[in-house]
Amino acid sequence: MAAHDTSGEADFGFRRVPTEQKAKLVRGVFDRVASRYDLMNDLMSGGIHRLWKAELIDWVDPRPGQLLLDVAGGTGDISRRFLERAPQARAIVCDINQAMMNEGRDRAIDDGVLEGITWVCGDAEKLPVERSTVDTYTIAFGLRNVTRIDAALAEARRVLKPGGRFFCLEFSQVVQPQIRRIYDLYSFNVLPRLGQIVAGDRDAYQYLVESIRRFPPQEELCRRMEAAGFDLVKHRNLSGGIAAIHSGWRL
Amino acid sequence: MAESRSDVDPRLLEILVCPLTKSRLRYDREAQELVSEEAGLAYPIRDGIPIMLVDEARPLDPDAAAKRGQEALERGA
Repeated sequence: MAAHDTSGEADFGFRRVPTEQKAKLVRGVFDRVASRYDLMNDLMSGGIHRLWKAELIDWVDPRPGQLLLDVAGGTGDISRRFLERAPQARAIVCDINQAMMNEGRDRAIDDGVLEGITWVCGDAEKLPVERSTVDTYTIAFGLRNVTRIDAALAEARRVLKPGGRFFCLEFSQVVQPQIRRIYDLYSFNVLPRLGQIVAGDRDAYQYLVESIRRFPPQEELCRRMEAAGFDLVKHRNLSGGIAAIHSGWRL
Repeated sequence: MAESRSDVDPRLLEILVCPLTKSRLRYDREAQELVSEEAGLAYPIRDGIPIMLVDEARPLDPDAAAKRGQEALERGA
């Protein structure tokens, strides 16, 4: 299994790169597209990513007093949705890329969102967070950019309180062959071109498309979550498996 | 004022640890750094955002080494 290999290399889209380089390369991609990332996501998914995120928040079911750790939280849209549902809660956005967070923080300030949300630059594989401190951990469209997925899962479990819950929203494996053909055509031909036009960076979006194909399919991710110590692991497919939400408890 | 805006949320500081050693951090407000004595690293705070990445951190060692060097010089003098 490619994702588990010990050759000291990692997938960067369809390229193989030395493990220690992947984080930097990924950071470069997001540095370049930061200011247009959310707009680009709208175009990429025809706005559907908003519905997926709403679905995620429904499943998360935010409650007052909870602490959310929003890993790979970028511009903070998951945290803001969380806080809209539970204004008395708190959210920490943690992303490896400061440019994305600066963008998000400016936007939050512009929108008058000043309370409950804090920002920290950190790596999902080496979280700068004390153990057993967070109620909910989310990683939305982030796990596939992580070099060592299993290390990130172990870190997620470490920072969760007993009784806390992990959620991952990520592009996944389309289950229907018909949809799959259309989706392939769209993502390999249309998306990078859109990336060129809107974000001025074809390569960055080419990477995004390739990285989606490299990500472990639904069942494999479930197994790896269980291996990391999560209980009651399940997943839900969204839009026929174009995306999926995985959930697991730290008990 | 810019300074108060860039201050880190104290409730965030309570749960931040060194990403390498998971040990507690010392907040150096003056230098705007979070210091991990155990790792010998100082993590910068930029625009109020703690940068908790090992490859962005400042090693404390060169300083300590320089200090030891200075002390040795003073003893010699």
